[in-house]
Parts: sequence; structure tokens; C-alpha cells
Amino acid sequence: MADRRGQQQRHMIARNNSSSSYSSFKSHKPSNRNTNAKNTHTNKFATVNPDNNDNIDDHQDIPNLVGTCPFMCPVEERARRERLRDLAVFERLHGNPAKTSSTLAVKKFCRTISTNNVQASDVRPVSVLEDTLNYLLNLLKSDCHFEVVHDFIFDRTRSIRQDLTMQNVTSDQAIHMYERMVKFHIISHHRLPKCGSPNIASICHLNMEQLTKALTSLFNLYEANRAPHSIYKDEAEFHSYYVLLHLCSDNQGESLSLWFRRVPFVIMKSKEMCFARRILRYFRLGNYKQFIYTTEAEASYLQYCIIEPYISEVRALALSCVNYGGYKLQPYPLTHLSNLLMMQESDLESLCVDCGLQTSTDGIGKALLSTKLTNTCNPKRGYHKYYELVSERLERLSAELSEL
Amino acid sequence: MAAYMSMGEAHRRITEYLNRFSDAVSSQDGKSLSRLLSISSSSSSSLQFLADALNTFQDANRIIRQSEKCSQYADILVPVFRALQSYRLRNLVESYLAFEKAANAFIQEFRNWESAWALEALCVIAYEIRILAERADKELASIGKTPEKLKGAGSFLMKVFGVLAGKGPKRVGALYVTCQLFKIYFKLGTVHLCRSVIRSIETARIFEFEEFPVRDKVTYMYYTGRLEVYNENFPAADHKLSYALTHCSPLKEANIRMILKYLIPVKLSIGILPRNLLLDKYNLTEYNNVVLALKRGDLRLLRHALEEHEDRFLRSGVYLVLEKLELQVYQRLIKKIYIIQKQKDPNKAHQIKLEVIVKALKWFEMDMDVDEVECIVSILIYKNLMKGYFAHKSKVVVLSKQDPFPKLNGKPILKKASILWGYVAASADLLSTLSLTNSISLVQGQIPYTHQWKPAITDLRYISFERVIQVKKKNQVHETRVQRLPMNNAK
Repeated sequence: MADRRGQQQRHMIARNNSSSSYSSFKSHKPSNRNTNAKNTHTNKFATVNPDNNDNIDDHQDIPNLVGTCPFMCPVEERARRERLRDLAVFERLHGNPAKTSSTLAVKKFCRTISTNNVQASDVRPVSVLEDTLNYLLNLLKSDCHFEVVHDFIFDRTRSIRQDLTMQNVTSDQAIHMYERMVKFHIISHHRLPKCGSPNIASICHLNMEQLTKALTSLFNLYEANRAPHSIYKDEAEFHSYYVLLHLCSDNQGESLSLWFRRVPFVIMKSKEMCFARRILRYFRLGNYKQFIYTTEAEASYLQYCIIEPYISEVRALALSCVNYGGYKLQPYPLTHLSNLLMMQESDLESLCVDCGLQTSTDGIGKALLSTKLTNTCNPKRGYHKYYELVSERLERLSAELSEL
Repeated sequence: MAAYMSMGEAHRRITEYLNRFSDAVSSQDGKSLSRLLSISSSSSSSLQFLADALNTFQDANRIIRQSEKCSQYADILVPVFRALQSYRLRNLVESYLAFEKAANAFIQEFRNWESAWALEALCVIAYEIRILAERADKELASIGKTPEKLKGAGSFLMKVFGVLAGKGPKRVGALYVTCQLFKIYFKLGTVHLCRSVIRSIETARIFEFEEFPVRDKVTYMYYTGRLEVYNENFPAADHKLSYALTHCSPLKEANIRMILKYLIPVKLSIGILPRNLLLDKYNLTEYNNVVLALKRGDLRLLRHALEEHEDRFLRSGVYLVLEKLELQVYQRLIKKIYIIQKQKDPNKAHQIKLEVIVKALKWFEMDMDVDEVECIVSILIYKNLMKGYFAHKSKVVVLSKQDPFPKLNGKPILKKASILWGYVAASADLLSTLSLTNSISLVQGQIPYTHQWKPAITDLRYISFERVIQVKKKNQVHETRVQRLPMNNAK
């Protein structure tokens, strides 16, 4: 465990990078724990030895900031933005771009906050942050164009994370809030590409960036609250998200092999992680049949959201394999293939066209020709049309998606 | 425990140490100096007695200041004494902090010394910094505080690296410090920090890799090889770990074991299986069933072997590498079916019904339907592990009559060669992997491979810039060649 802790000693002053600097909270835990900490948790961090003066962390001299702002947006900021007409659509009172109210305005994310100037009245306490998050996530139900909704929630939740970091909150409440925010980013990851706007690629990239940051902070929080023989209810699920986000090994960051070394064994053996690890194995080995089949049969909705971009790639791989290794006198029937790849037969036809592969028709139906060409165009992840997975189960899950 | 010591005795011991220190410095005796600084070394009883003496006497600083020869080194000696005392009293955090102060002062002096006479002492200090920091962190964790001394040690060693990264003779010590940094980063899990140090070693023009001591080169290649394993760059991993293996002293069995622990999965990935003798000798029996599964084509055994040692494989980071061996297991199984069919009816052997494969898998307690078998078969063909085609309607796979199961990387099988440390190998694959290069300042081992003769390599010992190759034809030594390579034969 020392390895995880060792990397977290960054000075509290660097507060700009809000969501990822859950660095120094370990040493603050005794003074700062919110009251609804688990009773069973033997707080091994509580015994701070005051005599050991030589290695008092610099951070311990700075008292923890506790916010006092009772509104979703500090009064001063609200007035300033009204004046500057800097109000988002959701914040406008009766559509008036220069008027808002305390129930509509939400604090914006500010990139350049310096600790010295922060006042407690500008920072929202945990309970207010929780109410703010509830309000924001409720907006997902609105009828507005998703991109607009996403943009607003994206920025305002980032500000929530900033407030949490500034106050060094590490309680279960913080964990729950982070979990919900990560889920929001996953939903966005799923829905943004379907928005059809021109610069969606950069929005998706930024969303992925924040997803990763929030997920990393969440893992740090789990670690900080680690009790001897228990894990949080959803901890395994969130670890599975991490694995699924790193299916492709050409990621720049840390390799999965390194990451696995630090995951507690009990989480590695959890049902969610075993699922994710199996999907990983199928992906890396190229077992397209099991990849798609297992996803359809066992993935939770959010897990599916993360896996979806890879499905096109796997299907294209399947087509390449059939094309390369199939017998040219026995074209592969599309009906059978569409069942295997769990797509509509018409979609499969379109996919063949997308990949530059030829089909033929005989008495029974359409079939894929094997031409052993290896220079067919393979759709790259994210750049190609995604054809829906034929799955009653996933449709049901999507409809049932409960409150975030 | 400290035996009772009189004040006089204590005074004598302290003075004796100070004399030895100043003598070492004035006569530029690096070895003696290093011995005086090995605080954590438990075999150094003289240092233990000194620590007791310091705890008895309690005012050693006065002696230092009064000593003509030693007062100029007070900045080093005062904290060293404190470090010793604290260490003896098991105040590990105190000990680390004091030693770091001493080390800082030492570096200042070291900078001024022209030659590299004190390099050994500096290396000892680098080692001690790491060890003391590790122990200090343990102490911090045990009282519920955040362990951050090892991270500080890392920063300190980066500073030391900077001191050594110059044109003079001191630069030979840089690799040792690099290895200490590797150990720290691996322990902390901040492995990504290795990248900048590696870049400094491999791209800086002042460093000539071959000039570094062998011991350091082995350690360096071991750690960088491990990084390649994590990133699944198998040719590079093979090259580096093999280098470490061939240059490691055969007497250092523990080190060899560590290298093999990572080299074996890499070799398995390129189709080279270690002999059981090797696994037993170095106590790497966790790989026994993996190897057996590969030989038998037994997927169930592979999965079982991975599960049995799951924690160990995950912790060392080779789990995903081993998991990927599944494709080779499938290949082996189908090959066995092919061989059996060949014995029954050589003319029809190359046609294998998918149902037969399904049955074979069932026999190994693996439940797979025809669709999945077809999927596996198509992947094996696509990845060139099998040559042929599959006919969907007839549910049959038709293997190519020539070389239906190519060795990995598509290279043809050559005569077997028994190689260093008992690997059973197809030498062509070993050749192709060894000839891959990945670093600018390393001397490459380029093995000539022409079509006139197909070598079977028996001795891979690289000797700086020349290689001894015994070329065998039909198991008889055909010729022995010594090949010289120019420096920096980089590709």
C-alpha cells in the first residue's frame, strides 16, 4: 500500500488542478472527517503523534477550509455574472440573459484560483454541494439538446469537485458524489458521439479527460478510507470501468499490468472485475464471438456504454477474419454472421460496404465473399457508424437507467 | 544490546573513527571511507560500537569541533553521528533525516574533489539513503502517518545523478544511482518516473554504456527489461533481459531467478519453452503447469495454472502476458489433432472437422460450441498461427499442405540448438529477437544470418565488442568465428 500513498504528497497550495489533487488528504484525516464515517472503520490515522516534530508535513500547518456559502452559487459571483450577462441557458430567469436567481445560478469552475484569496463564503459546504449535484444531475431529464446539457453539467460538476478538494473532504459523502459524477461522464461518453455536432471530437476528448481525473480521485478516496476487510459497495464496479476504458493497449498512460499490481486482490476477484477481465482477454485475443456475446449477456448498462466503441472494431475484425480465412467457394451467409455479431442483417450489409468487402446473393440469401484481400478498409474506433447491438436485455437496461 | 561502556572507552572510539575518517580523506582511500558510512549494515560491528559510544558520551560534537583534522568536515560528521545514534536507538525517521543532511554536505565536498576517488563512498551513500528511507517509511506507516521519505530519497538521488552527469571520470557512477532510483520508483509504484532517467542514460552523449561496471549494467537491463514486459514490447524485453541473464554472474542465483521470472513469460510468448530442469533449479515452479499446458494444448490446465498463482502473477505483472498464451495453446491442440489424423490417414489429415475440435476441447473439459471454435480457427489463420482456410458450410478447416503451423513470427523452424541455461529453442526465433535493437548507445548483438548456412547458436556470451560464435551443422561444430563489431553499431 505504501506505493499508492507515496505518490500523493503534493503541496496543498497547488489547488488549481482541483479534481486530481487529492494528494495530501491522508495527513488531514483526523481533523477533517465528516461525521458519517463508517463506525467499523478502525481509524488508524487518528493517532497523530504531536511529538514527532521533525516530519510534520507542511500541510498540517494550514487549517482546513470549511465553506459557508449556503447557495449553489456564491452571492458575489451571481451578482457579477448578472452584470456581465455571463449566464448559461439553465441559469436565466424567464430566459432573461441578465437575470438569475439563487435557485438557478450554479457556481462556475474557475481555472485560476489562488488559495490565499479564497474566502469561506465563496466555498460551498458538503451538504450544499450534494444538493447542487442533485439539482445538476436532474437536468439530464430536460428536453434540451444533449450537448448543451452536457456542457453545463460538465463545467458545474467540475466546480463541485474543486470545492471538495479545497475543503479536503474525504468522507463517504465525497465518495458517493464522485461516483455519481463519474457515471455522468460515462453517460456523456456514450451519448455525445451521437449528437452529430461538428466539433464533437474535442468535446469527447475533454469529457474523457475529466472522466479519468474523477475516476483517479475516486480511487484515491477509496484508498484513503480503506478499512481492513471491506470494500465499498460499488468499488468493484468502478474498477471494472477503469479496465474497460483501457482495453486497447496503445494508451499512453500506465499499462494495465502495472495498475493491476496495486489493486487489492479482493477487488480483482469480484464479479464485476472478473467480467471486465474476461472482456479484456477476449478483446486482446481477438475472440470476437465471445466478446460480443458476453457483453450482451452480462454487461451492466454503464459497462456497455464504455465497451460500445470497441464493438465496431471487433465486428470489423470478424469480417476481416472471414474475408481472409474463409473458403472462397463457400461465401459466409450474412444471416448467420449477423446473429453472431448481434446486429440487424441490413446493418451488416452496410458494414460490409463500409469495410469495402463484397457480398453476393444466392438462392438462400446474401453472403460475404472471401477474397483474401488484406487491404480492406478497417473502420477505426470512433470514426465509423455504429450499428446497434441487437439486445433486448440492454434495451431494457437503458430504459431502466435509474437516477444517477 | 549495548554493553556498558566507560566514558574513556567511548571517547577513544569516537576519536578513532574521526581519525580514520580524516585519514581516508587525506589519502583518498575510497574504500575505507565507504566502510565508515555504511550505517544500516548490520555486519559492521565497529559502527555499532561507535553508536553505543556516541550514546554514552553524548557530546561528540565538541570532539569534532576540537579536532584539527576533522572540524572542516563537521557538516558531514555531526549528522552522521546523529544518524548512527538514532539508528542504534531504532529512531528510523530521525536517522534518515540526519543522514540526508550528512549526504547533502558530502555532495558539496564531493563536487570539489577532482578525481573520482570517492565514488565508491558516494554509491554507499546512495544505497544508504534508499535503505534508511524505506525503513523510515515503515516506521511512519506503523504509527499511522503518511510515508513520504522514500519519495524524498528519490528527489535526493536525482540531485546526485545530476552531480555525476558530467564529462569527468565521476560519470561512471551514474548507472549505479540510476539503479537505486529504479528500485525506489518500482517500490513506490511511480514507475513512469523511470522514463526521464532512462532517457538521460540512453541519449546523453557523455555516457558510454559499455564503460559502466557490469554489475550496474545487469541491474539496469533487468529493470528496463521489466518495463518492456509491462508495455508488452517482447522483442525489446527479450533483448534486455537476455543481456542481463548472460552478463549476470552464475553464482548470483537469486538474481538469476529474478531475471528468469520475467524472461520466461517473454520467451513463452515467442514460442520458446524452458526445460523443467531450469524451472526446478531456480524454484520457478509456478511456470511448470503453464509450460505443460503449452506442450499439451491443454487450455484448462493453462487457466488453472493462472488461477493457482493468480496473486503472484498479478503482483509481478506478468499475468496478462501469460493469459495471451491461449492462442498458442489452441494452436498446439489443433496441431495434435492434425498429427493424430496424419497417422490414421495421411491423405485426409489436413482436413479437420470443427466438430472434432469441439470434441477435443470437451475432453479437456472446455465447453465451446461450433461457432466459437470457428471463431478461434479464423483468428488463428488471421494471425498466421495456422495456414489454410475454413469452410463455413462444410464446418471444416482445411490446412495448407506445407507448413500448416508456422512458428511464431512466421519464421521457419530451424534445427534445434541447446542454448545457455537449458532452453529448448528454435534458433531462428532467438536470432530474430536478439538482433532487434532498441537503444542508441548499446553495442548491438547482430547475428549474421545468410542463406548459405543455417547456424545453430550454442554460445551467446557477448564480450564487449566481439562475439564468439560456434556454428554447427548437423550437430558438429562447423566453424568458430570471432566477430568484431564497431562501437555504436546502432540501427
